[in-house]
Amino acid sequence: MMARTPMNRRQFLQAAGAGACAFCAARALGADAPAQAPSDAKPQAVVHDAMWFERLPDKAVRCTLCPRECVVAEVERGYCGVRENRGGDYKTLVYGALCSINIDPIEKKPLYHYLPTTTALSVATAGCNMECKFCQNWRISQYRPEQVDSLVMPPENLVRVAAARGAPTMAFTYSEPVVFYEYMHDAAAIGRKEGVGSVMISNGYIRADPMRQLCKHLTAVKVDLKAFTEEFYRDQCAGRLKPVLETLEVLADVGIHTEVVVLIIPTLNDSADEIGRMAKWLLDHVGPDVPLHFSRFHPTYRINNLPPTPVATLDRARKTAMDAGLHFVYVGNVPFHEGGHTVCPGCGKEVIRRVGFRTDVSNLKDGACRACGRKIPGVWTQEQALAFTPKAPAAPKSEQAPAAARS
Amino acid sequence: MTRRRFFARAAASTALAGAAAGLPLASCAQEEPGAAPPAKSRVVVIRHDSLVAGGDGLSPKRVAEVLDEAAKALAGEARAADAWARCFKPQDRLAVKVNCLGFPTSPAVAEALVQALGAMDLPAERVTLWDRTSRELRTAGYTLRSGGSGPRCYGTDALAPRGNGGYSADVFISGGTGSLISRIVTDEATALVSAAVLKDHNLAGLTGVMKNFYGAIHNPNKYHDNNCDPFIADACAQKPIRDRLRLAIVDATRPQYQGGPASRPQWQWPYGGLIVGTDPVAVDRIGCEILSRKRAGVGMKSFEAEQRPVRYLASGQALGLGAADLDRIEVVSIGRPWLDIE
Repeated sequence: MMARTPMNRRQFLQAAGAGACAFCAARALGADAPAQAPSDAKPQAVVHDAMWFERLPDKAVRCTLCPRECVVAEVERGYCGVRENRGGDYKTLVYGALCSINIDPIEKKPLYHYLPTTTALSVATAGCNMECKFCQNWRISQYRPEQVDSLVMPPENLVRVAAARGAPTMAFTYSEPVVFYEYMHDAAAIGRKEGVGSVMISNGYIRADPMRQLCKHLTAVKVDLKAFTEEFYRDQCAGRLKPVLETLEVLADVGIHTEVVVLIIPTLNDSADEIGRMAKWLLDHVGPDVPLHFSRFHPTYRINNLPPTPVATLDRARKTAMDAGLHFVYVGNVPFHEGGHTVCPGCGKEVIRRVGFRTDVSNLKDGACRACGRKIPGVWTQEQALAFTPKAPAAPKSEQAPAAARS
Repeated sequence: MTRRRFFARAAASTALAGAAAGLPLASCAQEEPGAAPPAKSRVVVIRHDSLVAGGDGLSPKRVAEVLDEAAKALAGEARAADAWARCFKPQDRLAVKVNCLGFPTSPAVAEALVQALGAMDLPAERVTLWDRTSRELRTAGYTLRSGGSGPRCYGTDALAPRGNGGYSADVFISGGTGSLISRIVTDEATALVSAAVLKDHNLAGLTGVMKNFYGAIHNPNKYHDNNCDPFIADACAQKPIRDRLRLAIVDATRPQYQGGPASRPQWQWPYGGLIVGTDPVAVDRIGCEILSRKRAGVGMKSFEAEQRPVRYLASGQALGLGAADLDRIEVVSIGRPWLDIE
């Protein structure tokens, strides 16, 4: 019973509005096109005031959006490649510059406990604040805005397209939405008012205050937990583990629906000990009900010398995590695997059954197991999604308020 | 010093230099990592009144004459054409990487190189002046040109229709870097010149001929941690760059000793020089010495004291790209002594 609402090209373009480029839109909405840079790239940056930065002497700025806290001299960009110092003001170059836009099943994010069978209007800009050597979408995440072709779509138009397409959700995904924070923030805020939810599919590499601020508008978050060692984050991702764990704690504190994905890469992050410690940490800091997905690696980008993850490795990881006490542990990127189904922790019956991106929720009734009545944690209706408010809506603390950072 | 006396003295320097040592021209591009470099890398620092104006005030014709002298001193040749022919062949397709970010390489210096190479029958039409984007080139004062007579001048982005925004289809790995490289390098050029400008950099300490190649890769933003080290050296060691690099020229007509990479006129001064060599590490080492001497002279802290040591030079030497140690560099100073800095 997977939802698929037809919409013709004319309807889409009308909804996209004046800001949309018809040529790019047609390309971007090609049937389930993978996220990648077009071959005839043209500069299409959309400059907008950045949020979350501090001014420094000599027209330098310090970006306070992500844990890197890049100090950026005039004319230079931050690590993400999409935020630039122009005369001492910090600008995002990708506000509404969408290099990928697709209608995806929500299960593809993956979000398994969030509005199953629905679709999400999924978008990305160029850029990322990490450099994972195994990135599946490196042809957009590791590119600068001028190196990809982009469809320019203001946030209000994105919301309109989602609504017209019958998608209850906008997903900020594919590359790294932290680096297009301003667009995501504004689109999510508008979406809330218009009845469209917003999910962030992220590496979680963001500072606490921007994350809390964003949670006022989001309805769910998926975090890629790349591994559970600092060495892996340093050597494979050019990042750090600790800030990602802090983000998971913030999300748990705020109470927003969160799912976690771990891409298991043979020999690099697949030890039982590491998986066990990771599961224990999630149990202690996020709780037993956080959905955890172990996903299968395929060689790509800068890691082409390792094989795809053996399914047995994923099975072992899943068992380790479930033995540690996590209730909902999944295997991903393996079609027809039994680890893709949601099983009731109470009675052991399958509550949600998934085959590829086709999802059967007939055993879920009012958010509970039809067999035993046990509540299954998650977001099961759009009303529930839009009703979310952060438990601890803390105002930005150390940094300037976002509004003040906008000139 | 009159022009006549200057060039007479330059000729004497050339003869001396030529007698002193065999020339390691183009050797920088052919060493294997870890291989022992030549005994000494020669770097020519040439200063002349015609270079003092800097920027828009430079005459490409005059700068070409100065460049000829530098080339003769570098190669130990009596004739400029013979000196240039030690670096390039007439059939080369030469790509001259200029730096247009913030405070740019003077267009007159790049144009002077094109003129000078005419003496060795390398047609201007076989030379491309380039940087990341055509917009940056135009902003820096370059005249864009994709055909007709004269040198080509366009950004990597002009090749976007070939895919990947004008960058290679494949990722090139070098040390800690993994990058796509401009198709101007991979698809068009048989020889490269790094034509940089001498200026301060807020993270690397110095921007010179090595960091100039951050403009040849698609993801320079990824490589600024740890004072850009070892990433600058890694980028220069990328095979398509290393194999093609023949010459390094630094526009030191009006260097900038603080506040880079943006242009900060209050920290620029009329040094009136060009730094020329075939060893990019040695050329940057000499540039570093000049900026450091200037900073000390005006009472500024050293790069090290400002937590931005020029680390990448040692990494470049370790990779076999050239000589970072001063005792492995022979400086041929023409005109005003190179470290005579007010």
